[in-house]
Amino acid sequence: MTLPSLNLLAQSILSGIFLGGMYGLIGLGLGLSWGLLRQINLAHFGYVFLSGYLCYQMTQYWGMDPLLALLILPPIFFGIGVVQQWALARFRITPFNSLLVTFGLTVMIESLIQWIWTADFRKMQTHYNELKFSVGGIFVPIPELFTLLLAVGLAFAIWAAMRFTDLGKAMRAMAEDAPIAAAFGINERGLSLLLSGLCVALAAVAGICFAVIFTLTPTQIFSWVGVVFAAVMLGGLGSALGPLVAGIIIGVSEAIAMVLFAPSWAPIVSFSLLIMMLLFRPGRA
Amino acid sequence: MLEVRDLRVGYGAAPALWDVNINVAGGELVCVVGPNGAGKTTLINALAGLNRATSGSIRLGGQDITRLASHLFCQAGIAIVPESRRLFTSMTVMENLELGSFLPGPRSHRARTLEQVCTLFPPVREKLNMPAGSLSGGQQQMVAIGRALMAQPKLLLLDEPSLGLAPSIVMDMFDAIRRINADGLSVLLVEQNVSMAMNLASRAYVLEEGRIVMEGDAKDLLQSPEVQKAYLGLD
Repeated sequence: MTLPSLNLLAQSILSGIFLGGMYGLIGLGLGLSWGLLRQINLAHFGYVFLSGYLCYQMTQYWGMDPLLALLILPPIFFGIGVVQQWALARFRITPFNSLLVTFGLTVMIESLIQWIWTADFRKMQTHYNELKFSVGGIFVPIPELFTLLLAVGLAFAIWAAMRFTDLGKAMRAMAEDAPIAAAFGINERGLSLLLSGLCVALAAVAGICFAVIFTLTPTQIFSWVGVVFAAVMLGGLGSALGPLVAGIIIGVSEAIAMVLFAPSWAPIVSFSLLIMMLLFRPGRA
Repeated sequence: MLEVRDLRVGYGAAPALWDVNINVAGGELVCVVGPNGAGKTTLINALAGLNRATSGSIRLGGQDITRLASHLFCQAGIAIVPESRRLFTSMTVMENLELGSFLPGPRSHRARTLEQVCTLFPPVREKLNMPAGSLSGGQQQMVAIGRALMAQPKLLLLDEPSLGLAPSIVMDMFDAIRRINADGLSVLLVEQNVSMAMNLASRAYVLEEGRIVMEGDAKDLLQSPEVQKAYLGLD
């Protein structure tokens, strides 16, 4: 082990924070749906990539700005979330079965993506790619910074909505005791549709940011599952801020491990953190 | 106010409730007593939309609510204090009370109703910002009753409000129920504590094995040989 320069370490930690912001942004909708709807929506990852590819299509072939995609795609994906929840409720899918059903859905989305866009690597080229500034010798890429700020903004907005609005309180009450919540006029079916739509719309937001920053390839869908699951479970199911905080902790830990040891050590970090938390604070997730 | 006709809950050869008929007039306090497993909770849950009626009808103030969706019973004017309270324990007392007044009507009177609840149960005022799960049993029962009052119901359903509470707290709870009723709210109370319930209520029903076996003036029923023998252990 050789000690890296301070500058390299700082640059790595910053990349870790940005990567953690991405984990948190993907984990936000996943954790809300898991904690409040009791659905482990694996299709969330499929939606992230589908949204990424659609954003790729809109910018590379139809000449749109990614920011325009950010206005168009989330409402459409909200609709997809509503339809998915309607179907899951219609067939009375249990939480465990939701894992299987949405796994199947993800495989279908992967095939769809492969059919339309092929398995080739796709990198969006926009004028945002090159935007960056430097502070004291450390480079700050604008798209990554934008993604982090968006993740922080959305997480805080949802946290505040859950805490301070009647609708948010109703969602928490529904998650704790749905029949009693219904006895006080809370429409479980309606709220579930709304919440599922919100979660999938959040997947769309994450997908657009993902497409701007990363190279897209359909087989990558499943490689994000593990680390985002770890962030969601570390952060607490149903928590709005937790996955983001946990995501950044994981991202930074991975970055430090990469600099100090080797890049291949990175995946071990997130799961070591998760296993340690499950050992020392069981029952929290 | 409340008219229950031939209410049956559950299917097959042994339904939980058999053709139950119950009336609660406006402003009346009525109790349903009976042993464990007689169907008391099934009955009260059916009236709150938590269980579905298999047949028969439930009318509230002339409106047939039997087939309403669960979340519309509250809007029709029914609020329940469920068995073992079932507060939203991870949320604060204040949030529990706010959720009681989730619907637009009660929400517009939230501040005033909250003041009434805090006047009725002074300990609740001290605990508004505490997680509901951290309160003592008696305080949780107060919050559960408060949450139901926040819905500004026409009919208050109480399922075993004395369950698991110390005798002195039970006295306080029954006193609070008496005052709530004295303010004009109709109350249907389900209890195992037969003598206390019958002393509080004006009329009473005795439920055994899913059927109403006796009904009448609460004081008369309490003096009847059947009730004295079966429920109070007196010969």
